[in-house]
This record gives sequence, C-alpha cells and structure tokens, in this order.
Amino acid sequence: MAQEGWSKAIADALRRNGIRIYATVPDFIVSQVLEYLWADDECKVVTVTREEEGLGLLSGAYLAGQRGALLMQNSGLGNCVNTIASLNVASQIPVVMVISHRGDLGEYNAAQVPMGQAAERVLEALEIRTAMPHTVEAFEAEADGLIKLAYTRRMPVAFLLPNDLTGGRYSS
Amino acid sequence: MKRDACTRLLAEKLTDEIVVTNLGQATLDLQQIADRPLNFYTFGSMGQCSAIAMGIAVSRPDARVISLDGDGSMLMNLGQLCTVANEAPPNLAIVVWDNEVHQTTGGQATATSMRSSLAGVARGAGMEKVLEPQNEEEVSAAFDRILNEAGPFFVVVKVDAGPAAGSMQRDLLRYKIRFMQALEALPADRPTALAIR
Repeated sequence: MAQEGWSKAIADALRRNGIRIYATVPDFIVSQVLEYLWADDECKVVTVTREEEGLGLLSGAYLAGQRGALLMQNSGLGNCVNTIASLNVASQIPVVMVISHRGDLGEYNAAQVPMGQAAERVLEALEIRTAMPHTVEAFEAEADGLIKLAYTRRMPVAFLLPNDLTGGRYSS
Repeated sequence: MKRDACTRLLAEKLTDEIVVTNLGQATLDLQQIADRPLNFYTFGSMGQCSAIAMGIAVSRPDARVISLDGDGSMLMNLGQLCTVANEAPPNLAIVVWDNEVHQTTGGQATATSMRSSLAGVARGAGMEKVLEPQNEEEVSAAFDRILNEAGPFFVVVKVDAGPAAGSMQRDLLRYKIRFMQALEALPADRPTALAIR
C-alpha cells in the first residue's frame, strides 16, 4: 500500500526548494512524481537515454546557476557511479537524486535484487547523504534539510524511496 | 588535419561563447591555446562532456555553448545524441575531434577507425545540422556557421592521432569556480546575447 499523497509531497518539496530542471529515465514509481512535474510549466523535464547522461546535463545546469534533480530507479544508480564520483563529487557539483528502491522487500524480479540490495552501500561508499523515508511524515521531516545540505556541502544527496512509501511495484 | 591547428581556428573566433572540453586531449589543447574563464574543462566522467554542454545551453539560452568532444568519449554515450536532437537547443554545437583512437590511454583504435561513422549516428539520432569539414578551410567555415547560425550542430573533424603538447593543469575546483563566476557575470541582456526562443 502506498502512502497517500507521497508523490505530490516529493514533487512539492523539489519545487519549493527551487529545483526547476529535471532529468529522468522514468520507471513506474518515479513517474508518479513526474506527473506533477510534467504538468508544471515552470519545470523542465528532460528524458535522457541513460541516467549518467542526466547527471552531465544537471551538472551543466548547476554550473549555469540552476538547481536540478535526477529521478530514476536504483538500477540507474548503478549506471551513474563513475559520473557521480568523477564529476559531481570530485568537482563539488550538487544534485538531488530521487531513486525508487526496487529489489528490496516484496520484489518479484530476481534481476532487480542485487542492485537493490547494494544501493544503500553504493551511496554510502560515495559519501552521499541519503534519506530513506518510510512515510510521508518522515519524508517531510527531512526533505528541505537534505536538499539544503546538498547545496551547502556542494555534494549530491539522495532520496531512496522504499516500497512502503511508494507502494512499490508488486506484480509478476 | 592537426587538432591543435583546428582548435586555434576556433579560438581565434571566440568572443563570449562557452566552451566545454572533453577529458584528455581537448582539455589540454584548449588550456594551452586559449585558456579563458568561459572554458569548462572536464578531467573525468568520460562520455559526459557534451551532456554538460547541453545542460549549460538549456540553462543559458542567451549564450552559445560549444562542446569539444572526442570520438572515444562520444562512442561511450551515443544515446545523448538522441536527447540533443529531440531537445534541440539552438545554442548548442558539438564538435568531435575524431582521431580514431583512444589517444589518452595509448592510441588504441576506436570504432570510427573501422566501419562506424559518428556523423551517420548523429543523423540517425535526428540531428539535422551535421557537418563533416574535410580541410582547414572547411573547418573554419563550419566554425563560422556554429558561431552565427541556430543549431544544434554536430561537427565531426577527422584529425591526426597524437598527444597534445604541454602539461595539463588539473585544479578542478579553481576552474569550476572561475567558470561559474564568469558565466554568472555574463549579462543575459548584453548586446551579443542570443534572442531567446
């Protein structure tokens, strides 16, 4: 069961913190956030072909004075690792990552599991401060502070979204 | 053609354009030939040079942005050509120095030394303005077009293999801060600003 209003809460937190450019390789879960961003004329959403391309794009936007967020599945985090390290961390270029957490509790697709189980430790290895809110209240308690920290510290931050927040994708 | 000679041809024409360079030879060449605050050099994140340029281009539609990329790096991220073609920022030009080798790692052959054409890939991705200048005169004319005409452009310049001269400066944070300050100080309403679509 998804928490009521989770996707709008995330879209609103991103927007109220001045994030206007978004890159994504969509999945079923983050698309529920994207619905609000696609519908907002003040937000630009670019669908990229691979998640690390989104990091390049959003890094360029930051250099030009804009705040950006990357919305993806944790499989995309795997595709991003070297760019996070050698571009965002090395050059202190902040970005907000919103990552749906497949491959954890309730997962039906075995191919999702190894990356899903590794996701937290990959983020930790890159020294990326991560929030894993299980409720809308928990998300709201950390959201503004984590986004602010990204730009103060000039480092990426991540919201790793568990199934009990988003409802996940249960199917087979 | 020589890559450094072609870089000089571009540098001579630059005014308030932004130039993003690919790790390795493109970065070193531009550091040596025309170091300037509106250059953003990359030193890692292979494949992301033109994606960074696109992010700057969509965020600053008043400024022209030129990516100086390489064949090995472009091959690593061909999908971005589809994104550029479909998003179509008119102020973006991607120039690929295609020396058909991975120069920085010792000159190992890339796919463009064999059957693969980056210009062909770009056309297939939906890029409309794809240029393949064959000599320095045509390179100079191509640069005049990317500096004066609406894009996006994709320019493939076949250059000789060989390392850039000089030694690279790798102060990432200093270059980043210098670039951000220069871009922030570039007024969007300056006389040479592009008309915003």
